[in-house]
Amino acid sequence: MRLSGPAVALLALTLLAGCPQPMPDITPEPPVLRRLTAAQFHNTIGDLLGDDLYIPEGLEPDLRAGGLLEVGASKAALSPRGTENFEQAAYVLAEQAMAEDRRGALVPCTPTGPVDSACAETFVSEFGRRAWRRPLTDDEVQRLTGVADQGASTLGDFYGGLEFALAGLLLAPEFLYRIELGEADPTGAWARRYSDYEMASRLSFLLWNSTPDDELLDAAERGELTQEQGLRVQLERLLTSPRSREGLRAWFADFLQLADLDDLYKETSVFMHMSDTLGASAREETLLTFETLALEEAGDLRDLLTTRRTFINRELAALYDMRAPARDGFAEAALDPDRPRRGLLGQASFLSLHAHPVSSSPTLRGRFLREVLLCQDLPGALADVDTSIPPVSEEARTLRERVQRHLEDPSCGGCHRLMDLPGLGLEHFDGIGRYRASEEGVAIDASGELDGIQFDDASGLASAIHDHPDFIPCAVQTFVRYATGVEERQDQQDGLDWLSDQFALRKHLVAELVEDLVTSPLFRQAGTISEEASP
Amino acid sequence: MTRKLPGRATRWLPVGVERVPSRRTVLRGLLGGAAVTVGLPPLEAFLNASGTAYADGCSLPARFGLFFWGNGVLPDRWIPQSTGQGDEWSLSDQLAPLADVKHLISVVSGTEVRVVNEIPHYSGAAGFLSGIAPLGEEGDNTFAGPSIDQIIAAEIGGETRFRSLEVGAHPGAGLSFNGPHSSNPPETSPHALFERLFGAGFTAPGEEPVIDPRLGLRRSVLDAVMERIDSLKGRVGASDQIRLEQHFDGIRDLELRLARMEEDPPDLAACLRPEEPILDEAIASLSQRNRLLCDLIAMSLACDQARVFSNVFTRPVDNFVFPGMEDGHHRLTHDEVDPQPQVHEVMVQIMAEVAYFIESLNRIQEGDGTLLDHCAVLATTDVSYGRTHSLDDFPIIVSGGACGALRQGLHYRSTTRENASQVMLTLIRAMGILAPEFGSGDAHTTEGLGAIEL
Repeated sequence: MRLSGPAVALLALTLLAGCPQPMPDITPEPPVLRRLTAAQFHNTIGDLLGDDLYIPEGLEPDLRAGGLLEVGASKAALSPRGTENFEQAAYVLAEQAMAEDRRGALVPCTPTGPVDSACAETFVSEFGRRAWRRPLTDDEVQRLTGVADQGASTLGDFYGGLEFALAGLLLAPEFLYRIELGEADPTGAWARRYSDYEMASRLSFLLWNSTPDDELLDAAERGELTQEQGLRVQLERLLTSPRSREGLRAWFADFLQLADLDDLYKETSVFMHMSDTLGASAREETLLTFETLALEEAGDLRDLLTTRRTFINRELAALYDMRAPARDGFAEAALDPDRPRRGLLGQASFLSLHAHPVSSSPTLRGRFLREVLLCQDLPGALADVDTSIPPVSEEARTLRERVQRHLEDPSCGGCHRLMDLPGLGLEHFDGIGRYRASEEGVAIDASGELDGIQFDDASGLASAIHDHPDFIPCAVQTFVRYATGVEERQDQQDGLDWLSDQFALRKHLVAELVEDLVTSPLFRQAGTISEEASP
Repeated sequence: MTRKLPGRATRWLPVGVERVPSRRTVLRGLLGGAAVTVGLPPLEAFLNASGTAYADGCSLPARFGLFFWGNGVLPDRWIPQSTGQGDEWSLSDQLAPLADVKHLISVVSGTEVRVVNEIPHYSGAAGFLSGIAPLGEEGDNTFAGPSIDQIIAAEIGGETRFRSLEVGAHPGAGLSFNGPHSSNPPETSPHALFERLFGAGFTAPGEEPVIDPRLGLRRSVLDAVMERIDSLKGRVGASDQIRLEQHFDGIRDLELRLARMEEDPPDLAACLRPEEPILDEAIASLSQRNRLLCDLIAMSLACDQARVFSNVFTRPVDNFVFPGMEDGHHRLTHDEVDPQPQVHEVMVQIMAEVAYFIESLNRIQEGDGTLLDHCAVLATTDVSYGRTHSLDDFPIIVSGGACGALRQGLHYRSTTRENASQVMLTLIRAMGILAPEFGSGDAHTTEGLGAIEL
């Protein structure tokens, strides 16, 4: 039988999708300790002790490195101040956990008196396994039981003593860091792999942004997570749980650097719609869009850029000049198909973060598009250049006219054209994302260009990013960085390219990307512990 | 207000040193303005832990502080026209708010920060404060080595309840670094700072410390945690070992602090428990926030809670819109057309905060002089000319006597583009620390800046 060209291609595609080639060999990263991020600490405490507890916040700021807080977590040391804060927080938590109405849920035995070593030991051993994400050794159990006994006899109170053992578990590096160091691979497939308990942590923090539950730890204990079949079973369970939304939202928020919305700073005399809650509202809009379209409805990730559907509350409806879709909270709303606002780039989160306190900024917006959404390297800003922008004048009234210098001056233009030409496409939106047809009485010209694609306004820019060949590889690279906590090495590029190809075959469904990564060597294979300090 | 006099023997008094009876005096109010009667203990009481007097016969410990603002200056209007000592020089337009403390400051101009100017603002901040260019990783802005406050804290921070204090009115992530990716986040809330310094765990002079059996138990827990860190250290890579050592040091400091909570407080005449500051929601301006923080820091020094601090008023690239301005500070420095009248106005506002900061230390009487007499204070920024990010002719103000180690009332202008690191080495040595050098590469120096030394 002879097949036509397109039919061969189709067959090849089907075969590829059906029984994909495995990821090419990669050189695995040396393992590093990952400090729990602020969100992971919060979620983990909630899972361990109850989410109605008062959980102290702001103990230690997260650090962004390689574009992500999750990479910073592999580099940041714990500051002395953070150590002090965690110590105080541990007792605030322990006291609540051992309160009369709550202790029963955590302590599986009834003490026979103020000092009951056997009961303390049971608590340390059972709770310790959940807190440290692995079983404790006998020595470890004995050491912390000793702390509990000492406390109980000093205070004359069994539960008072347990508070100190609990604090000891929460202050230990086994709790505050994710210790995933790998083990020799007995199957010989690789030199080293992540162990069963380490895989439990890796899965759980990636998918739920929190600590493994008992079922996952039990699967680790049975040795199932180092086996592909067992891994897939648990992956399926975690991914189909509603809790996976939390974990994948955390990735998306880290990707778009939405944590910075906590510190959104705008001059209220210029932006009437600015408020203390606007940053949080804007973040929720973006995350609901991602959660609904990319996860719940299993849509193409790229379509987040061009969708006319969004999710807003009253505050954002006022900012966008729309009817509020719900009296309280967030609800879906449709954007006007004839206006430039659509997709992620039309949302207040992006538009307000990448702007000045009193105005928009084509440069900052263009830089974010290139560096974060397309993972392109830009030259750094120059020292020793005159950067002044002329004031509003008869000849130059709009910002576009005033920054024209940046584009024409050869010393500025090379780099500024890269940023400003795409960024100018968003000039219909002011510094917090409100639509404006004109500036200083002159109609806005929002035309621009991105890597050879000309567009008239933000809607055209959204399509240009949607179709840009760098967008999907960039999203994949960021996801891998997020999942592994390290910046990929040069010799892992083949693995990343493979993931991007798979992602395209699977119609850019985020859940498929998660599955492809989690079952690949990039996630399961461990490198050798590094003897050399990296900066 | 009555106080118990004298306090019992404390760690300030080595065994065998006899306490001389105190004299009483009346000090003008420190924070509230009310007259208060406090005991002035004898100078002999101010001995360090090993029983020797402090550097150069100074009877009080030397303290170090940094005050930092972001985005540089307008050099033409910041640097004084004339040089010399006392009346030989006059303040510039932008330094005018420092008129009342002119005799207490030395302005240093003409030196340069000798690092490659690769990362605008952060090359200068790291280059001057740590003597090393920052790590050039994307968006990380991390210092490659410790900042001057931590270099000094490593030597003298162990004597006090807090190794160092970090505050700031609008500081971002702060500029106090222990090493790469290891920073000390600043406190921005005066109320939270008050709770930390003067809340539970603080004992004012003459008060009985609280004896709490839980303190001993908390220390036992920290012992167990240190064992865990130690055992983990042998299994991790080299970078993680450094991180774990830093974590370990933090725990050990904390344990020492818990131990000290059961000791009697040092008997310090100038130490008064300050009034609780207003809540953050009631703070009306950046200036008010800074001044509340300055007052608390000054009193924490007087109470010997810490001897090293940094106050980052605004961060590098800070885009705060100062009162009366049309745009954020950073943007004005770049976009405003010459002669940048708004940038000038912002500089005058910032220099008024520097003046308040110096006055907050000078207002507290201590021994035969003021708290400032026993401090070495550095006020500086991240670039020289904000518009161009230049690092030559760097703006530096030094204040405080550092127990007789530093000259004051001077404008020194380097005519040979000396290395700005020399100022740092002078400041470190003014703390009584025998440091052979500061900085690395072109920024390295083994010499202080003789012109500002006594």
